[in-house]
Amino acid sequence: MHLLRTFARAAGTAAVLLSTTALVQAADVSFLTHWGPDTVAKLEAAAAAYTKDHPDTKITVRAVPFGDLLTTLRSSGGGADGATIAGIYDAWLPDLSKDKLVAPVPDAIAADTKANWPAGVIGAASIGGTLYGIPNEIDVYALNYNKKLFAAAGITDAPKTWDEFLADAEKLTDKSKGQQGFGMINSWAAGVLHPFASLLVSNGGELVVDGKPTLDSKQATETFELYEKLIKSGYSDPAMATADANTTGPFLDNFVSGKTGMIIMANWWESALKAGMGDNFADVATAPIPVGPSGDTARSISYSWMTVVNAKASADEQKAAWDFLSWLNGPSSGPNGASAMGDILMSMGILPSRTSDGAAFKDKLEGDAFLKGYTETLANAKGFPVVLGGQEFSEALQKTLEAVQFGQLSAADAQKTAQSDATEILTRAAQ
Amino acid sequence: MTAIAAAADTRPLERPHRRITAVSAALTILIVAVAVVAAFPLAWMVLTSLKTPQETMHVPPVWLPASPNLEAYSKVSDVVSIGRSFFNSAVIALVTTVAIIITSLMAGYAFAKYQFRYRELLFALLLSTMFLPPIVTLIPLYRIVGYLELTGSLWGVVVPNLANAFGIFLMRQFIRGVPDELIEAARVDGASELRVLFQIVAPSVLPAIAALTLFAFVYHWNSYLWPLTVLQGNADQYPIVISLSRLLSYNRGAMNTGLVMAGATLAVLPPVVLFVILQRFFVDSVISSGVKG
Amino acid sequence: MQRRQTQSAVAMLAPATGLITVFVFVPMLLTLWLAFQSWSTQTGFETARFIGVQNFIDIFSNSSVGRDFKAALLNTLIYTVLSVVLILPLSVAFGLLVHQKLAPGGIVLRTVLFSTYMVPMIAVALVFSKLYSPTEGPLNQVLGWIGVPPQTWLSSPQTALTSIVILNVWQQVGYFTVLAVAGLTQIPDSLYEAAKIDGANPLQRFWSITLPLLGNTLLFSAVIAIINSVQVFEPVALITQGGPVNATNVLTYFIRRVGIERAQGGLGSAMAVTLMLSLVVAIAALFALARSREAKSA
Repeated sequence: MHLLRTFARAAGTAAVLLSTTALVQAADVSFLTHWGPDTVAKLEAAAAAYTKDHPDTKITVRAVPFGDLLTTLRSSGGGADGATIAGIYDAWLPDLSKDKLVAPVPDAIAADTKANWPAGVIGAASIGGTLYGIPNEIDVYALNYNKKLFAAAGITDAPKTWDEFLADAEKLTDKSKGQQGFGMINSWAAGVLHPFASLLVSNGGELVVDGKPTLDSKQATETFELYEKLIKSGYSDPAMATADANTTGPFLDNFVSGKTGMIIMANWWESALKAGMGDNFADVATAPIPVGPSGDTARSISYSWMTVVNAKASADEQKAAWDFLSWLNGPSSGPNGASAMGDILMSMGILPSRTSDGAAFKDKLEGDAFLKGYTETLANAKGFPVVLGGQEFSEALQKTLEAVQFGQLSAADAQKTAQSDATEILTRAAQ
Repeated sequence: MTAIAAAADTRPLERPHRRITAVSAALTILIVAVAVVAAFPLAWMVLTSLKTPQETMHVPPVWLPASPNLEAYSKVSDVVSIGRSFFNSAVIALVTTVAIIITSLMAGYAFAKYQFRYRELLFALLLSTMFLPPIVTLIPLYRIVGYLELTGSLWGVVVPNLANAFGIFLMRQFIRGVPDELIEAARVDGASELRVLFQIVAPSVLPAIAALTLFAFVYHWNSYLWPLTVLQGNADQYPIVISLSRLLSYNRGAMNTGLVMAGATLAVLPPVVLFVILQRFFVDSVISSGVKG
Repeated sequence: MQRRQTQSAVAMLAPATGLITVFVFVPMLLTLWLAFQSWSTQTGFETARFIGVQNFIDIFSNSSVGRDFKAALLNTLIYTVLSVVLILPLSVAFGLLVHQKLAPGGIVLRTVLFSTYMVPMIAVALVFSKLYSPTEGPLNQVLGWIGVPPQTWLSSPQTALTSIVILNVWQQVGYFTVLAVAGLTQIPDSLYEAAKIDGANPLQRFWSITLPLLGNTLLFSAVIAIINSVQVFEPVALITQGGPVNATNVLTYFIRRVGIERAQGGLGSAMAVTLMLSLVVAIAALFALARSREAKSA
């Protein structure tokens, strides 16, 4: 009997002791991110430099794989134990702010941010005019193609219109070699949606206007039909398009090994390409998205990331967090007038969105032939819709597009389903 | 952990008449074939962990590394803190196992040797939880653990698992077989019930305890869904199985196959080693009578 | 004497019962309650709003959540049935291989088979994802040696689910083999001797003695196999993420996605309740089947 009680008491005490968040000395700031270990090391170095000048702020980095980032954010939401700072994808902002999980940027810092970042990303980081995060990464999509395969097929320039695009896809497809003209992607939401959306906007269409989906437009019809044609004609092989949970997989391997002629992808996959292709990376070139029959100029889809602060953290922690973020994203923290954040992003081959970073890294950006194709596209890029229910909207559209890829749905049916799903999801989420 | 430690033969193999008949030859071939197929994935895992990144990406696949090297293993320790992860896994597995053994012994003893009202009803109720997949209770359990302020810590992972219906079932089955006279004698000598349980009964069911140890330890060492949900990105609390998934996103995934296989090999070692050690216990004495009925 | 026993009983049962009540029963009841509420998993229980059976209507409707749920339910059913149908016969076959005494190596085989059950599911998923790789994986290569064209494995909706089933069977068959061996050990040799004297050949002995007497073991194995299969999570979460085109969307994965990631606690709980009910029905059906078999053979 006594043994039991002692055991229970000891366990209980131990539980309380071990589980209570560590004795807070001033501000304990945690930073949740999806970055890989190399990049995390850079972030930790920046944090160490900050702590040297601000000894009462302790910063720890928590890294999770990208696939788990949203889940981690959501499961830790509603508690003071959640990470103080989190790097989030702009599409997640509306739902997080609706559930009151993110705090608005303090006025002084907000004013400074609005002055130093382009209007587009500021918009993506705001809800109803209130700024909720400091933007960092901006990503955009472009057509990637294999110059060697182009030469072998007798193609000199990148396709500028959809007709040229389809013609080139046909020339590049060679079943006997297991070669496909255009690579699609499946099993990964962004991989399925963003290339489709890029083609849609390059055709003059939109995904969502004023909170209402416009997937029933003529421009959307043409885009769905383009996909249907690519699959039916065999220019795209869905079995070669699989992506793993870590956003790589056969779709990447096939482009790397020269089995895919063209693919639409974002700028950040440059490091994966370099690592996989080695010297053959010189065969890769980038170009703007081909323009559709209803489009006027080449457009692309962009999306951004930002850092937000946990609304449920203590006032001290929130203040310390914003101060750190303001420094991290400011011109004094990195080399040559760049920000430490900009420096971290450039190390991953990712474009920083801060205007002064664009200037500070001008030479590097212009010297990189691969990135050039992307920076050119940036001017005409439309942000991927940032709406309430955005994640669910994306996942539903993803399933419909995958059904088209595998020939399970016709373009017409897919369009109908996509529009009705989107309408239902967005109206429900807006309530 | 809904499985029974059933296990093996109760008597050692008798020496057969080793006539090499066609039948025995065919059987031997079959046995070897099945063993090879069963062992193949694990063998591939270990071999790949010793290959260079180029060898892992080679088309067609390379089976044997030209010059096996431990590069991948040293890289693993760059990416995840192996020591810390193993420690976390060990804490989770050990604490849970010890607690399960204690609570199961106590409850199993009561069900096996005590008379009290509603005994069978209570036992049936507890047993029914064996058939409940954890996902069914995941969401509210997550919030409950949050109310107890245990999220993000190893305790949050451990505390909901300190007792287990299967363990109770197993202990009850085996304690039933302990002679009442033994227990009475100890009581007459003035021993408290706890004493009786831990000094007399427990040693008599050691094989069952060994079986339960193996299953509880391995199950909680390998457990993924619950720790993932509770630990919320607190990477220094991650057990090794969750740390493994961080290996996947290393270098955005390009050329990390060897790395992932090395990490997987490391994660696989402790449960398999423990199994090889404790397996002898089964062969010696665990009776499948536990499975009856 | 009785009084003291009850007191001691309470003391002995308190830890286990208390823990199981708090961490299993209470959450189970909460899940039942939450299935009828509109509730965000981010918030405390007090924010739950009663909405009757709306959640159940939603998950069986034609909305995207409904379509996904029905797909997950169907996939989980197919996955479970395929797994059980493959595992049970294989476990009996391997069990016989282990148990027999004509050829050596039974114990080694048992060790090899059983050890696969010890491997963490995540390691299994990772290894198999590489084995299944269309160009870099050895499986397609080996198939090529025997003239079979390369399979699409995880890359096609038709084959993805089956690929995970194979993975599951590989991991679990050793465990069920041990159960089968335990069952086989209980069959007295005298029965076989008697049958041999009566002139029965090995196949006949198998069908009329071995299989019927393994009945209990097989029933038990089936129940455990069903419960294990329903819990499939790691391969889907780490490798396929429910794809391609929902082909590997399974209940555990989808409930977690809706209930935790999208914080739609009410919907997630409704799905969980549906899963629970399906299990009860399935297991009850199994027992009924077994009992009717017994009655028939009696």
